[in-house]
Amino acid sequence: MINFIHIKNDLKQVFRDPIMSVLLFAPLLIVAVFKLLIIFLFPFIATKFNFDLSLYYQYLMAGILILISGMLGIVIGFMMLDDKDGNIAELMAVTPLGRSGYLVNRLSFSSILCFFYSIIAIYVLNVIDIPFYTILLLSILSGVYSIIIGLLIFSGADDKVKGLTFAKGLNMLGIFAFSDLFALNWFSILSLIFPTYWITRIIESPHSISAFLLGTSIHAIWLIYLIYRYLTKK
Amino acid sequence: MRLLSAIWSDIKFQAKQGFYLVYLIITIMYLILLSMLPPNVLTIALPLVVFSDPSVLGLFFIGGIILLEKSQGVMMAIVVTPLKTEEYVLSKAISLALVSVFAAITITALSPIDNVNWFLLIISTILTAGLFTLSGIMINAGCNNVNQYMVKTIPYMLLFTLPCFSLLGFEYSYLFTVVPSVAALRLLLGAYHGIVRYEALGLTLYLVVMNYLFFRNSVRIFENKIVYQDQKL
Repeated sequence: MINFIHIKNDLKQVFRDPIMSVLLFAPLLIVAVFKLLIIFLFPFIATKFNFDLSLYYQYLMAGILILISGMLGIVIGFMMLDDKDGNIAELMAVTPLGRSGYLVNRLSFSSILCFFYSIIAIYVLNVIDIPFYTILLLSILSGVYSIIIGLLIFSGADDKVKGLTFAKGLNMLGIFAFSDLFALNWFSILSLIFPTYWITRIIESPHSISAFLLGTSIHAIWLIYLIYRYLTKK
Repeated sequence: MRLLSAIWSDIKFQAKQGFYLVYLIITIMYLILLSMLPPNVLTIALPLVVFSDPSVLGLFFIGGIILLEKSQGVMMAIVVTPLKTEEYVLSKAISLALVSVFAAITITALSPIDNVNWFLLIISTILTAGLFTLSGIMINAGCNNVNQYMVKTIPYMLLFTLPCFSLLGFEYSYLFTVVPSVAALRLLLGAYHGIVRYEALGLTLYLVVMNYLFFRNSVRIFENKIVYQDQKL
């Protein structure tokens, strides 16, 4: 009940501020822009530069999923940094909601949105042919990735500027989704420990149980470690 | 002298916040990415990378810097110190442009590309960085948190980036050069692909004028909206 009231208040807070609500709907704008690019720009590039981008659609889809989840993770990370500045987080810790309840509410907000946006993105862009259960898994992992980004920003940054620096650096995690394109052995091996790599891997092998298990495990390890770090941090 | 001290303290602040470290990592990532591209694609991709990231970094960071300094009460201190608003704004623009130049030079120097006009590369990076950082100061007015700032940058980014597609070339597409970001990208592309001397001079002068106009406007907005918060008589 307390959780529900808190989520309701979060939603009220977000929709009271038109700018925040725009930010939460921005992923849909990203999907629309990419849909237009696929329809108009990609055929133009194919004819003008003789470069067929449709060969790389699995990477494009992975990139968009990572972009959406990264973006929502950054939004939630900065919301939590603002709470830290306003001592809201400390206040929440002494309410019945508690420190972990506050974390669950804040992070579930971005991950649920991310889950639905990922499903929408996959269906609207319609560039990959994967079964529904893989779409579900990818959407869950995208939600988890947004939590990972939010927690990395929140736990790593002391202030807004450091938060921005972190966000900038964390954007680079997306590169690991494309590591197979580089044909660098060491880079591919390094990529195995990053969640973004597994998003591409699952899209490429939509029926592979090993990709599912390893991808989910890597996401879970990052998530558990970051939550543990948050809860044990003074 | 005051300006130099302000720039130096901004550089120290940026180093402390990890700007240089993060850009070192980003540069390495870009180098890995660019090293995979065939030479004909690299000549197009490299200027686009320099334009889209190092040159624009000021827009990304200035929002957080000003919001942080506002919350720390730095703005109140500025009013009672001899440091003028012009110097404060200029110091921010110059110090962030230095990070841009550092990243642009490193990415270009370590990429397998020949015949780069280094002078033009540095000039175009400084002028582009100036435009974006000063825009960031103008956008920042009225923002209370980083999320608000990020949303407010979206229309500006669209306004700056969409006209850049005019460089693909179509009838009357050169008219889009009036948009400062298009002029900046043309100049930057000229540093890599070669450019007629008069065109380079014209674009540079145009960007200097635009930087000056952006500077005057950002100083005015900064004083009215951020320092005095519309309370100045």
